[in-house]
Amino acid sequence: MDQWEYRPARDFGLPLRRRLLSVRRENGLVSSLTRHAWWIGSGLYLRSYHRLVVRGREHLPARPPFIMIANHASHLDIMLLAAGLPMRFRECAYPIAAGDTFFETPARRLFSWMMLSALPMWRKGSVRHAIDDLRTRLLENPVVYLLFPEGTRTRTGDMSAFRPGLGMLVAGTEIPVVPCRIEGAFRSLPPGSFVPRPYKLHLTIAPPMCFPAIANDRAGWKRIAGELEQVIRGPSATPEA
Amino acid sequence: MIDAFWNKLLSPGAAFDHPVTIALAAVVGGVLVATPVVIELLRLVGRIDAPHRAELYRRLYSWLFLAPAIAAPVLLGPGCTILAIAGLSLLCYREFARATGFFRERALSATVAVGVLALTVAEYDHWYEFFVALPSLMIALITIVALARDQPRGYLQRVSIATLSFLLFGVCFGHLAYMANDADFRPIMLTIVVCVEANDVFAYICGKSFGRRKLAPATSPGKTLGGVLGAAVLTPALFALIGRWVFENQSIGSLTHLVIMGLFASLAGMYGDLVISSIKRDLGIKDMGALLPGHGGLLDRFDSLLLVSPAIFHYIGYFRGWGLDQPARILTG
Repeated sequence: MDQWEYRPARDFGLPLRRRLLSVRRENGLVSSLTRHAWWIGSGLYLRSYHRLVVRGREHLPARPPFIMIANHASHLDIMLLAAGLPMRFRECAYPIAAGDTFFETPARRLFSWMMLSALPMWRKGSVRHAIDDLRTRLLENPVVYLLFPEGTRTRTGDMSAFRPGLGMLVAGTEIPVVPCRIEGAFRSLPPGSFVPRPYKLHLTIAPPMCFPAIANDRAGWKRIAGELEQVIRGPSATPEA
Repeated sequence: MIDAFWNKLLSPGAAFDHPVTIALAAVVGGVLVATPVVIELLRLVGRIDAPHRAELYRRLYSWLFLAPAIAAPVLLGPGCTILAIAGLSLLCYREFARATGFFRERALSATVAVGVLALTVAEYDHWYEFFVALPSLMIALITIVALARDQPRGYLQRVSIATLSFLLFGVCFGHLAYMANDADFRPIMLTIVVCVEANDVFAYICGKSFGRRKLAPATSPGKTLGGVLGAAVLTPALFALIGRWVFENQSIGSLTHLVIMGLFASLAGMYGDLVISSIKRDLGIKDMGALLPGHGGLLDRFDSLLLVSPAIFHYIGYFRGWGLDQPARILTG
């Protein structure tokens, strides 16, 4: 007879405020419902208003954990990545969002938690601890992280260099990273504008990459970031112009 | 149906119809005001040290929030009371599910929540047959829903936790909610809550004064036999004292009945406490949550009410009945 096994929530015992800001946060029934509603609604919007086309769905790994990354041009991007995921993966999908934008005010925190189930990453201060937490969680639980390795939205329309933080999550592990290219988002909703324009959007999902042999150190992180950057920069199938 | 819902929701005009409601509200308010004075006096005579005092203040602050939060829905009306207890059930279930990791079983977790909502409908409707049918119906539903993923591994654990949590947090608290269908629910419920909370205080004081033998050192090291016995004398006395007014001119108001119900409040209150302590020890956690500073989670505070509610409900139900003069099935009728 097997022993019964209890695994309390990773964020068990934290008061609500600290839970909200913790990368250990696990979601419950209510936020699960609101989030599904949000992803379904945003998917419908992208498909109808922006005539979203998703290519390469067959490249997604069969089961979590994995990381989905893309170039970052607008606030539509996160909804695009979620729209590329099948329903069963959305339950465990956690966007990694900038703490100073998405967790600044109580209203934004509530939205980021209930609708996006985003986990905060702070651009300033010590991030090492939070990244270690995220890495452990990725190795122990079936989760999908959605993140933008540039760290911020492009202000010019051109992709900027990837930050090495992504490498810190996967160096020396079998966790697949799925590079995606987003096209049309910069024209639809560039930083600074608030009303999306109805341009066509493309999401291209590339085959996943693993980095089991790359050392978990500064040089390794840079190499991982560089390799993934090259894949996303690669020749475009549908030029924006 | 909508009219019936609104009529039942609020009746603040009747809040203080019963003299016991006024008396209890005044006494509880008085105790909350007097506590800081007592704490400061104890400090002056040197009976308590600084950390102990800080702990007492933390508890007092929690009660300054909890006492109005408990009293307000009861005073506002029967519908409010039922809905507030439904909220309490769901929040307690949430704490339990997060502590055990059961919340990851989304379908079963939703089933338990639906069960609690169904109980709430039965209570609001004053439909006793549905209320007592729900435990068996829900057990049937839980065993079926747990089959869904075709994963026999862990089946027994999933079904057991779902069933236990529905029975403990849904059905047990549901009995407290069902009392709101009685015309005199305000004094009765407040009496039960006051006596159960007083029971904790009595046990604490008696334990400090003449408690030596530990009751269950592995489960709850703070409990002593002296404390439990002292509380088992004082709580029935308090229950009889208040109950004399609450059940004036009713056969259930006899001294024997009142002392028996007081014993239920004392012993079932203590056992409810031990049940939650056992669960916490088994899981290896200290508190069930972090909602109430000084208390931990909601379950750490309301554990004693868990088993008292069905015991007293069915005792009164057997000898007197609940809400017999009130309209039944007001929503589905």
